[in-house]
Amino acid sequence: MKQTVLSFICEVQPDRVAQLNALLKNLQSDLLANPNPTLAFPSVKQLHFASMLVHEDQGYAPILIFEANFDGEVQPFLNDLVQVAGAELDRIYRHCRGYNLGDSSDPALLRNYLRANIVEPSAYYIGNVGRSVQRTLQEDGLRGSAEKFLDDTVALGKDNASPSRLRQDLQNFVRGVPGLAWVANVPARQTTSEHVLPWVKIAIVALVVLAFLPALILPLIIYLIILRWKETHDIPQTSPANREHEKALLETELRPNSVQTHMSSITIVKPGPFRRWTLRTVLFLIGMAARVSVKGDLFGIATIHFAHWSLIDQGRRMVFLSNFDGSWENYLDDFIDKVSAGLTGVWSNTTGFPKTKFLFFEGTKNGPRFKATTRDKQTPTTIWYSAYPHLTVQNIDNNSAIREDLFKTLDEQQTREWLWRF
Amino acid sequence: MAELERQDMQGYIVSGYIHLPCAMYLLLRVSDGSAARAWLAKLINEITTAERKQEGTCLNIAFTRSGLNRLGMNYPETLATFPLSFLEGMNSPYRTKILGDDGENDPANWEWGGADEQKTADILLLLFGADEATLDQLIARQRSTFATGGVSELRALGAGRQPDTHEHFGFNDDITQPALEGTSAVKRNRPQDVIKLGEVLLSYINDYGQPTDSPLISPEHDPQNMLPNQQPVHGAPSNAPILHDLGRNGTYVVFRQLEQHVAEFWNYLDEASRDGNGQVDRAASVRLGAKFVGRWPSGAPLVNAPDADNPALGQDDNFNYFDADPHGFKCPIGSHIRRSNPRDSLAPNAEASLASVNRHRLIRRGRSYGHRAQDPRVDDGQRRGLHFICLNADIERQFEFVQQTWINSPVFSGLCGEVDPLVGHLSKGDEVMTIQGDPVRTRVHNLRRFITVKGGAYFFMPGMKALRYLASL
Repeated sequence: MKQTVLSFICEVQPDRVAQLNALLKNLQSDLLANPNPTLAFPSVKQLHFASMLVHEDQGYAPILIFEANFDGEVQPFLNDLVQVAGAELDRIYRHCRGYNLGDSSDPALLRNYLRANIVEPSAYYIGNVGRSVQRTLQEDGLRGSAEKFLDDTVALGKDNASPSRLRQDLQNFVRGVPGLAWVANVPARQTTSEHVLPWVKIAIVALVVLAFLPALILPLIIYLIILRWKETHDIPQTSPANREHEKALLETELRPNSVQTHMSSITIVKPGPFRRWTLRTVLFLIGMAARVSVKGDLFGIATIHFAHWSLIDQGRRMVFLSNFDGSWENYLDDFIDKVSAGLTGVWSNTTGFPKTKFLFFEGTKNGPRFKATTRDKQTPTTIWYSAYPHLTVQNIDNNSAIREDLFKTLDEQQTREWLWRF
Repeated sequence: MAELERQDMQGYIVSGYIHLPCAMYLLLRVSDGSAARAWLAKLINEITTAERKQEGTCLNIAFTRSGLNRLGMNYPETLATFPLSFLEGMNSPYRTKILGDDGENDPANWEWGGADEQKTADILLLLFGADEATLDQLIARQRSTFATGGVSELRALGAGRQPDTHEHFGFNDDITQPALEGTSAVKRNRPQDVIKLGEVLLSYINDYGQPTDSPLISPEHDPQNMLPNQQPVHGAPSNAPILHDLGRNGTYVVFRQLEQHVAEFWNYLDEASRDGNGQVDRAASVRLGAKFVGRWPSGAPLVNAPDADNPALGQDDNFNYFDADPHGFKCPIGSHIRRSNPRDSLAPNAEASLASVNRHRLIRRGRSYGHRAQDPRVDDGQRRGLHFICLNADIERQFEFVQQTWINSPVFSGLCGEVDPLVGHLSKGDEVMTIQGDPVRTRVHNLRRFITVKGGAYFFMPGMKALRYLASL
């Protein structure tokens, strides 16, 4: 199933930034407290995660970033979004440049404005590829019902039955619940072509690189010499994180009743085409690898639901938006322990990043400096929405596995392992 | 590996003084900064350093942010080099969220260190004695200096002699302890438990191979060069000014007073483990308690003693999870010891897990307070608990991480919707704990908070040079 990751980025009228921030804050409080919020994201059935924030950089106009991660294509999403949240979005976009201030009752105006401001990611990653919002919630419900059934089984002292007996009882229970009839017919999460095409793309790129390899050696050596010269002359940030800014980040980051966290980072790419093209290339490679990482794990990080990188201002700034499980500290530790090379390869092209060697080395390995500069480059996420804030990528995967194998034929060992999923 | 500068370190960093069974923690407030500096200058000679084992008594000292302020340590550029956790304090709204201190654990309900500014501590004075009389003498002598010393006593938190090394719920405690590289503790530990000096001591090399961040002073504020130069910062320009190091040989002390509701704990276990006929089964009750803790009352770890207690393994720490108990059938994934030190059990593999877990280790220095209950199932109305104390170089990466990412995470290591059954952020709803089993797991329901936070604070424990510097301000 197709899923879309993108953001809408537009300029905010500089004199209206404060007003817009206040409006977004109000909408966020309402979104947290109200089961039927004014900004009706929960009514957009295909929406997994969304965020909104205003970012200001010296030398650039302030921008509003609206991140959306959803099932299906853009147009049906925009239709649904504008239908249920059009009035609030209209209020928001009235602070932005180029938005038609005329008749706001015409939903096409807002749709067209959003469409015109779409920024496609340069690279993106989806933790649970092909699992729709509806399916994620249904499978969570299935597990919840099964857990209750197992609780009863244990309470009645029937838990010393054989694994296959326990499984049969559970199957019969699920068959008997009308609300769980959907379990029988759930399509595969990826079509064959969705599964195969990314591998074909990797193969083609690898072949092209191999074919031109002899001609690439000299440019590569020159590239590395220039790179090392730049790396020894770049000045990294060595100061601790700004404490007031850290507080502003914690204000939106620490969310009650959520096992997930959001991160927004807008960085300035180091000046000159060398770094801009290096960054584009690294992001291209990451995007390609991310398409075949469909097991809920990106180079060893198993906590990312949706993340994407976008280049704006002709590649002079990079926007990174991530919806992940667990604490900020834990996420950054994963960056340091598990994906240091990839992460360093991306962010070493942006200002302030810790000292690096040959693009991919050192960098994040200097944990404290990396954390400090990351903090300073983050922007508080003013509005953040998740359709299932209580679930991790791994929870969702486990729930899916429970459902997928529920009525499959399993041997004895498989049956036992299936029961261990509860 | 750097040599330990023992003469500049407070002894508490390398020893919990277990040869001195009686302890008193005095929380002080500074009323007169200049008198307090003079008081501190005199006290310095009595402070136990890490140079040698000291019989009879030991004394150490640490400061909160407000304590440093009242002593006159107010340089904004220096304060900016302390971590936010220390600057804000444990009772601040963000720390409260990170630590899960809400409901009855909300700092508004604390007896000290909480929302009431009048009850926040400036100074923590740690006093230890070989016996009650020696400790009492030491306390009396110290108290006699307070009035002229510009300090007043906010609270006296005693941690008297206990019958054994068990905490009040009845479980042997303090078995696992990381060893600082280069100290004698290394010999007693497995290599996986040895941590870099910079994981505890400020401005020493930490697990990232970098000197740990340390509070810094501009040279103009230290004209007599009482403090050493800061460690070089990787990547800093060569012309960057060299600052003076206020943190060298210091550490951060996390202090939390955790009151334990012993009768409530055992009555809950009795109820939750009634046998098929509805009768209380004390053996089953102990077994359930062991599943909560991850160790039997003797201390024997469930991984090595899965079916019954084995006092011969009472000090056993020689176990991991990845091979021995990957699914938690012996030691539940959500048990207290597995959450607070997951060892090699985290994704993606044992080796990576150990490496990453070792960046979140704590030197534990806690001691029980109050008398052991005669019958743990009867509420005798007496107060008892644990003065939880730990040392770490990075409060956010170590203590707070353990609390936020492991203890209080509803989704720790693949779990869904449950927290640490002993010290976790348990709300009033149907809180569960999953006890993994083959063929199928059991869940216990309606967990309650068996522990209440009564107070707490983050303290900075400076090295001896830094103490002299503070006294000279």
